[in-house]
Amino acid sequence: MLTAIALPYHALPVSLIERHRLDGLAHDRGGEKELQFHVAAAVPLLPVWHEGQLRIVRWGCRRGEGRALPVGGWTKLATVESGYWSGCGAAAVDVPAALGLDGGVWYAIRQGMRGVLVQDEGEVERVYVVCEPASHYYGVMTRSDWMPVLIGERI
Amino acid sequence: MRPHLIGHLDADCFYVSAERVRFPFLRGKPVGVLGNQGACVIAKSYEMKARGIATGEPIWDCQRKCPDGVYLKRDFRWYEVLSRAMLSLVRRFSPAVEYYSIDEFFFDANPGPGASPQAFAEALRNRVTEVVGVPVTVGIARSKTLAKLVSDTAKPFGALALTDPDAERALLARLPVSDITGIASRRAARLASLGIHTCLDFALADRKRVRKLLTVVGEILWWELNGTPAQRLCTDRPPHKALSRGGSLGGPTADPDRLLGWLARNTERLVEELEYHAVTAGRLQVFVMHWNAATGAHEIDLPQPTDRFDLLLDAAKHCFARSWVPGLGASRMHLIATRLRRPGFVQQGLFEAPDGRARAVAKLKREVNAKVGRFALRSGATLPLYDVYRDREQGYDVCDIRGKLCF
Repeated sequence: MLTAIALPYHALPVSLIERHRLDGLAHDRGGEKELQFHVAAAVPLLPVWHEGQLRIVRWGCRRGEGRALPVGGWTKLATVESGYWSGCGAAAVDVPAALGLDGGVWYAIRQGMRGVLVQDEGEVERVYVVCEPASHYYGVMTRSDWMPVLIGERI
Repeated sequence: MRPHLIGHLDADCFYVSAERVRFPFLRGKPVGVLGNQGACVIAKSYEMKARGIATGEPIWDCQRKCPDGVYLKRDFRWYEVLSRAMLSLVRRFSPAVEYYSIDEFFFDANPGPGASPQAFAEALRNRVTEVVGVPVTVGIARSKTLAKLVSDTAKPFGALALTDPDAERALLARLPVSDITGIASRRAARLASLGIHTCLDFALADRKRVRKLLTVVGEILWWELNGTPAQRLCTDRPPHKALSRGGSLGGPTADPDRLLGWLARNTERLVEELEYHAVTAGRLQVFVMHWNAATGAHEIDLPQPTDRFDLLLDAAKHCFARSWVPGLGASRMHLIATRLRRPGFVQQGLFEAPDGRARAVAKLKREVNAKVGRFALRSGATLPLYDVYRDREQGYDVCDIRGKLCF
């Protein structure tokens, strides 16, 4: 399962970086600096495009954080297609990403992935990454059974 | 008088550089491009190479050596676009260019009066990098073999014209003989037994002795290393003596339906090639590489040279049944068509069935696929490979890039 994404540092506006204190997520593996968003972070965050705006929201829901939402950071495409989320007032969003991390393997992503944005009972916005069964290629590359639903590409 | 010069242009870590053209964010990072199944690195950046990762290494080993490495799925359609853009630029600089491989070209490197070969090499390198975005290295020397050795030495992003025999010898003295294209480990071992270890040892060796040991192939290299061109520039690809299609089966499989699917897929790919080159096959060979067991092979002479899918698939099935050991997982398969003939020169058989219907079906299939997409209309035997056909990049391989001299 996807456990982190990375974006070029310049992909996020400085105002957004400052407002959410994202500088601590900066990472340097050579070339341009990047911002990494890990699901295992103390406060897991993800950038999302929603109604034409780039925002930073909580990645999924942890045990004890909300009673109405499922625990985890992912949702299956089949669940989305079943209409489960429409009953919660959820919205489809795009999660921009240049890299994804799964099974310890960082891989390149062209645009990003699909997500579902929903509010918990405390009106905190949370995003779940939409996943589907891994393709053969993705499965070999990451040894993972699930992959994110990528925008405009299939690995 | 200046000797006639040959140039060699080689893209620096081409697949990675090609990905960096469209994803500049990857510049400066350790990047590996993965092969057809996502298991092995087929190209790596210099940053990844510096972590000790070799081409062909499995991703799980790479991950251990370079945890922050970034991996990508190969995209040969994109690499061909950039390869042809480079080729077109080199042709503007030179009247004769050989499309040696997807990322390597040989060319006539004789600049006009007043221009130096070194300036020519630098101008070409800079122009290709500026226009296409892929860093390249250019080597210029008195023969193809020398030019390639020069560019290999000048990497990355080098430009070097080496035309002085003394400078050539100094270079050859530094290079092991196995650096010469055409001298692999077995030949190098035979040469070592004669005390030939460096390229210079090889160039100074007795020519007749070299020929005796390595046949005419070795003698050609000997002439080339001594600055006498013995390999001409092939600006047009010579006609194929054999056409083949095949490769990995996406992990070992012993499922007969899936194997038949691969057989049909590879037969369809082979038919495409036969049609493109307007030849028919007189003989078909099938190789099946078993997982942890010996390779099976069988060949058959076709009753009539043909490019018909149904006849070739029947022949392929016949060979496959004698190559594959039921129950054993097969990991790779290759179909090779030989005894290629132009249809017009073939003696028709007395009892050959009319093939008007088969021709009409083949034409329809070609036209549908040309319009809708490759493999849109295909044999029903390929149905078990739904996952392979769903993946767009699986539909185009490096061997599908035509006109190259070598793989």
